[in-house]
This record gives sequence, structure tokens and C-alpha cells, in this order.
Amino acid sequence: MLARIAHELYWLGRNLARAEFTARAVEAVFQAELQGTSEAKPGVSFGSGGLLAMFGDVDESPRSSQALGQLTLDAERPGSMLASIERAREGARTVRDVISAEMWEAINTTALGLRGGGQPGWTAPAGPYLASQYVKERTALIWGVANRSMLRDEAKCFLDAGGLIEISDMVLRMLRVAMPPGDSAPADGHALILLQAVGGFHAYLRAVTAPPNAHPVARFLLFERAYPDSVAACVDSLNEVFTTADAGPRNFKPVLRVSRLAADLDFQRRALPDGAELTDICEQTQQELARIDQDVAERYFAGAAAAGLRR
Amino acid sequence: MISRAPPPAIDARADQPAAGDYHPQAPFLDELFESDGTPRPTAVPLVEQLRRLGPAGLIEAGRRRDAIFMQQGITFETSSVGGASHERPFPLDLVPRVLSGQEWRDIKRGLAQRIRALNHFVDDVYHAREIVREGLVPWRLVVSCSHFARAVHGIRPPGGVYTHVAGCDLVRHSDGTWKVIEDNVRIPSGISYVLENRAAMARLVPELFASYRVRPVDHYPQLLLRALRSVAPSAESEATVVVWTPGPANPAYFEHAFLARQMGVELVEASDLVVRDDVLYMRTTRGLERAHAVYRRLDDDFVDPLEFRPDSLLGVPGLVRAYRAGSVAVANAFGTGVADDKAIYCVVPDMIRFYLGEEPILENVKTYLLSDPEVLEHVLERLDQLVVKPTGESGGRGVMIGPHAHEGEIERMRQVISTHPERWIAQDVVRLSTVPTVGADGVLAPRHVDLRPFAVFGERIDIVPGGLTRVALDDGSLIVNSSRGGVSKDTWVLEDGDTADRAGPPIADTQPPALPDLRYGAWSGQQQQQQQRQQPQRRPPGSP
Repeated sequence: MLARIAHELYWLGRNLARAEFTARAVEAVFQAELQGTSEAKPGVSFGSGGLLAMFGDVDESPRSSQALGQLTLDAERPGSMLASIERAREGARTVRDVISAEMWEAINTTALGLRGGGQPGWTAPAGPYLASQYVKERTALIWGVANRSMLRDEAKCFLDAGGLIEISDMVLRMLRVAMPPGDSAPADGHALILLQAVGGFHAYLRAVTAPPNAHPVARFLLFERAYPDSVAACVDSLNEVFTTADAGPRNFKPVLRVSRLAADLDFQRRALPDGAELTDICEQTQQELARIDQDVAERYFAGAAAAGLRR
Repeated sequence: MISRAPPPAIDARADQPAAGDYHPQAPFLDELFESDGTPRPTAVPLVEQLRRLGPAGLIEAGRRRDAIFMQQGITFETSSVGGASHERPFPLDLVPRVLSGQEWRDIKRGLAQRIRALNHFVDDVYHAREIVREGLVPWRLVVSCSHFARAVHGIRPPGGVYTHVAGCDLVRHSDGTWKVIEDNVRIPSGISYVLENRAAMARLVPELFASYRVRPVDHYPQLLLRALRSVAPSAESEATVVVWTPGPANPAYFEHAFLARQMGVELVEASDLVVRDDVLYMRTTRGLERAHAVYRRLDDDFVDPLEFRPDSLLGVPGLVRAYRAGSVAVANAFGTGVADDKAIYCVVPDMIRFYLGEEPILENVKTYLLSDPEVLEHVLERLDQLVVKPTGESGGRGVMIGPHAHEGEIERMRQVISTHPERWIAQDVVRLSTVPTVGADGVLAPRHVDLRPFAVFGERIDIVPGGLTRVALDDGSLIVNSSRGGVSKDTWVLEDGDTADRAGPPIADTQPPALPDLRYGAWSGQQQQQQQRQQPQRRPPGSP
């Protein structure tokens, strides 16, 4: 397939995944910040400020309601859901011949629904919440349509690859913001907010018997391969996707890197004792993902996009 | 589609402020307003926001609330006069009830004290019976309790905890004091609504939260899980906890499923459980798996056909034997019902003095035990001024409120009580406090409320801030049970700056770290630039 198309699909996946991640995180933070502190001591610090920090906005610390507003419908902010969906729509338009009409329509409708302040009623203080609900539902629909209607060929592989790399990057960013190195926050303090921010609360409860405290939650989000949005699961799937897409998967850097990272995460999961510091692993994994992202651009997108990705 | 415009009848009032013509009803205490109709100091911002919303805003939010609750299946079965039951969205009133941090601390201390005493009492009744020998409680009274369980005599559960989950009903008298009106230490329900109400309020009317820091309630499932694990007899591995429901037909099934989901444990029915050699197992796809702790949501009578009601189809044969052998923890323990009998209620203040050597922090409502002939005579004369309750019931069943009953009812009650005086108690009428409540027309009116805080007793007693506030539906009515058509309110316990009660700074106040080393931290902006390079003439948004 054309390198340009593959590139667009990859970024389409990334933008959709980012919009969805932002929506879940905004919803969780919105709910948490309306209320005061819990009696249980928090083990992580993650609020609207943290959410902005994840997207690289730290110079100002606006009030919570403003911060969440910036992440929902502010077209000027590249990190907002609207901006992500708009980019996805732009991308989808250039690959309209590759994706199904149904899928294009699903993406386009989402963008139209978010423009101009969104739906009536979203101006209320519950606006960020309502917009997040909408984006969550719409992105679920888009991915659902993609899974049902797209041929499982290279195109689908690149779409999925973009989504997977974006989710794992977002989860890693969140962990690094919420649990900075040398932090004084107690590791046995609760970390419900992180699970709610990825929609993984229920999955956690079923997979892990320990209470949702900072350390077990971080381990879960990093290593739990049965949970689809964990970093390890994303890297595993990424490996499968590239193996399918690449004609010679054993010979090229991105595939080799991904499979090494998958094995490394699995090793760390087994080798690390409970309660071990995870910040280094988060950082290293994230850098490795950045390298993979660059290798992908060089190998598949004919280096065309690599220039845009470098600092 | 739901029409956004309010119906004409409401439109006529839509321009009035919601709280504009609110009149507290003397002599009752109103929790948001002073008796002259001005808002209390803590309630000023709340009342301001309610005014801003207005009746139309409240009606609109109410519509969204009903739609959300129906979608999420947060419903309540009500039976109409014909006997046919139908589902309606769980009734949540949009005006929260506000308690100060100081008030809450007193309530919390009082409840913890009371629950500790009740726990001592259950232990005592099934072991040494010291309180009986001391002459404080006649043995006759204990054995006459319908929930006294001979089968568990001499069994002491792990940690000596019987009343793992307790929900005492509190009311606020017109002089501002809190009183306990009822103890529930069997299977108190309602906690799921506390959590769901809070989540719904945050979605529907976030503006009301603007000037307050409300203590969250959503850690209850974790508290419960920790308590259940702490009492489970499991030495080697993490204890397996299950929630036991009578089945989907139970009116509280929503809550059972909610708690199991929130705790991440299995929701089991009787057919999933089996006892082998005095050990409780559940049937799984991988064969029998041991269950160490059971949070049971059905009455003693039904749990084990071998020990309690032999005709119970909901029970697990041999469960009491396993319990006696100490291989399984059951919450609440079998036989705890003896402590929430309404006849025992009268002696709880004495219990607190006897077991703990402390003065009760929360008072009882003045109660008359009718087994004493003199008291009986006195009560029968004043039936029209008292509340009469059956001792072994809950949920507002069989209660008669004297001042609201008509002649015939009182006469019939007199007959019934005279035949079996030991099955009834009488109480003074409590002047329940009121809180403004949204009526069908969106206008606020005072309604009577009570409060059921939920306590969890494991290694220690934890009580989630607030609890379920139940509201009497009709003007002047004092009956608040949801099965009788009552409404509920979100209950806010405010932080008052006192950090003694909580740990760590508020999450939002801490400054997050920057991530300087992120290579593609600002990728999105560059991606856009790059796309614009690819497509120099960007089409206007919306074009195909």
C-alpha cells in the first residue's frame, strides 16, 4: 500500500485513541475534583493540573473547570478532544478510499457534533462531562465499525498500530505524572483515579486481589497482559500487528524493537519484586516507544513523516 | 426525544426563583434555612445556585436524572394498589443535604460507640450472658426476639466481630440534637444508592458543588472488602470473598450486584455454594473453590435449612456447621438480629454504659416497652400521640403514627397491642427536621428527612461520610422508607479545614511535575503543521 496512506492511517489511529483517552481521563478528573479529599490517603496526585501536564501544558495552572474545558472543546489547544477528532477527520478524509463509507461517516459525524461548542446543554458546568461521554461513545462506535467492516489487511494493521502506540504512550505519561520519582506520596495510598481515568477500574478489581493502591495499580497498568489498555498488552498487540503487516518481520528494526520490548516487559513483570520503584521502567519504555515510532516512520512511511516528528 | 421546553403549567412559574418563597415549617428545624426564611450561613452559596437554576432548571435536570437512572438500571420496584409492581427510576432529590464537618464527627463517634456496644451485646447473648445476670436485660426479652438464634450459641467468629455492616437510622430533633431511631445490624441496605446518588449529582448539577468541598463516599466497597478479608479465616493466601444474594427477584438485587462488582468479587446464589466436610466451596468452571468470607444478603431464617427454616430453598445445607467449625466468616454473623430488635433498642444506652463504661453520645428516642402492664396502660391511653412499631419488623412495615391515624386505626391497634403487648413498642413522636425538596412543579418545599449512615466493622470501625438521607414524599408525612414511596437525597459532609480527620493534601492542590525528556511531547502541533504542508489549501470545516 502507499506509504502516505499507511502514514495517514497510523495517525488516524493515534488521534482517535488520544481523543478516547482524553475523554475518559477528563470524565474521571471531573468527578473526582467536584468532591473533597477521601478519608483514605491518596497515593498518587492526578487532577486537572496533572492532565494538562500530560499534554505538555504546565506553565499555567488554571482552575479545574477551565482546564477541563481546554481539554474538551477548545479548538486552539492541540490536546483537546475536539482538536484530536478534527485531526482524525482530516486524516480520514485523505484515506476515504481505504476506509469504509460507514467509518468515514462515523468519524465525520463525531467531528460535526463537537464543533461550535458541541451539543446544546454542554455549556452547563457539566459540559466537560457531557462532551467526554459523547466522545467516549463515538470513539467506541468508530472502533467498532472499523473492526466489523475493515478488511484485516495492512491498512487495518497501521490503524491499529497507531491506536496501540498512542494508548501505551498515554498510560505511561499518566503514570509518570501521577507518580513522579522520589515522590513522597505513600505507595499504599489509593490510586482509584488512575484506574477511572483509563476506564479500567472494573478490570482491575477482577484481575488483582490487592486494594487499588498506587503500586499494584501501576503494576497493573504496566504489566497486566490480560487488560487491553495496559502497556504490556498494547506492546504485545503491536508486535502481532507489525508481524502481520511486514513482509519480512524478522529483518527490520521496528518489529524487532517491539518484540524485544514485549519480552522485556514480561521479564520485568516477573523479575521485579512487589513494591519496586517503577518510574525508571516507565521512562525507559516510553523512550523505547518513541524510538519505535521513529523506526516505523522510517521503515514504512518512506521517511516522509520522520521530519515532522523530530524535535 | 425529550422536549426541552417545560410544559405550559410549569412555564407559568418558571420565572420565579426556586427558593424564593420557601417557608420552613415551624416547629420543625429546617437544615438549610433559619426559621425566618433566610438561608443558614453554610447554605448561602447552595441556595444562591438553586435560585439561579430556578424551577425550570431543576425540572430539566430531573428529567435527565430519570433518563440516566433508567438507562443505568438504577430502579426501584414499587407496587401499586392493584398489586402489580413496576419499575421506576430510583427517586433522588436534587437538593443535597449538608452536614458540617463538626456535626459529622460527633455523629461518627456516637455511631462507632453504639456499634461497638451492640457487638459486645451479641457476643454476650450467645456466651456468658453477663448483661442478663447483671439484671439490665431480662432473659425473657432476649429469647422473645424473633431473630434470636439458638443455633449459634457459643460460636465466636474471627476477631469477635458480629456486626460487620451496620446502618443506624438517625433523626434530627427540632432542638438540633441527633437521635437514633432504629438500629439495623442484620442486612441494612441503601449504600449503593449513596454512591450512585453522588455520581448522579456530580453529573446533573455540578454547579451546586462549586463553593463546597464535599467528602467523597466512593471508597465504601474497598472498606467493606478490607473488613471482610480481615475477618476471613485464611492463613495461606488472599481470602476469597463472595456476596450472597437470594437472587435477581430480590428488591435489593441491584445493590447486591453493585457491591460485588465494585469489590470485584463473585455474586453467588445458593445453588453456587456447597458445604463439604464443614468447608464452604463455590462451584466454578475449574471445580470447587473455597470461599472464606460470605457477605450474605438474606435473613438468618433462610440461610441453612438444616438449622433454621427447613423449607428454605434459598439456603445452603451445612453452612452453619461450617461457620461453627470456623472455616468461613459470615457477615453479618448469624444471630445478630437479636441486637436490632426494637425491644432491645430501649436498652442500648444502658448497654453502652455497661460494656464500654462510657456515656452514650447519641441519644435514643423516648421508648415504651409494652410488656410492663403499667406502661401498657399509660400507652394505650395516649395512642393518638405516639408512634407504635412492631418489634421484629423493618422497612416501616406495621408502623402506626398516632397523630396521623384515624379513630378506627387507633382502635384496631389498641386491640392488637392488648393481645400481644410484647410484640410492640411505642415511641414519642419525633419532630424530624426538614430539608427543602424539589416538588413536581420545580418549587422547593420542606420535607421531613432521616439519615442512615453506613458503618463497616473489621479491624476497626469505618463510617463513610454522610449516608443515605431519606425524605418523606408527602407534605407533613413522617414515613421515609423508600419501599413506602420515599425519596432520597445526596448527603454532603463538608471538610471544615480540620485535617485531623483526613490524610494528605487535596489531590487538585499538588503541582504536577513536568516531563522534560519527552521526545515527542508536542507531536500534535507538529503533526498539524506537517498536514498543512501536505495540504496547503485547507478546506473550510464542514465541507465534504
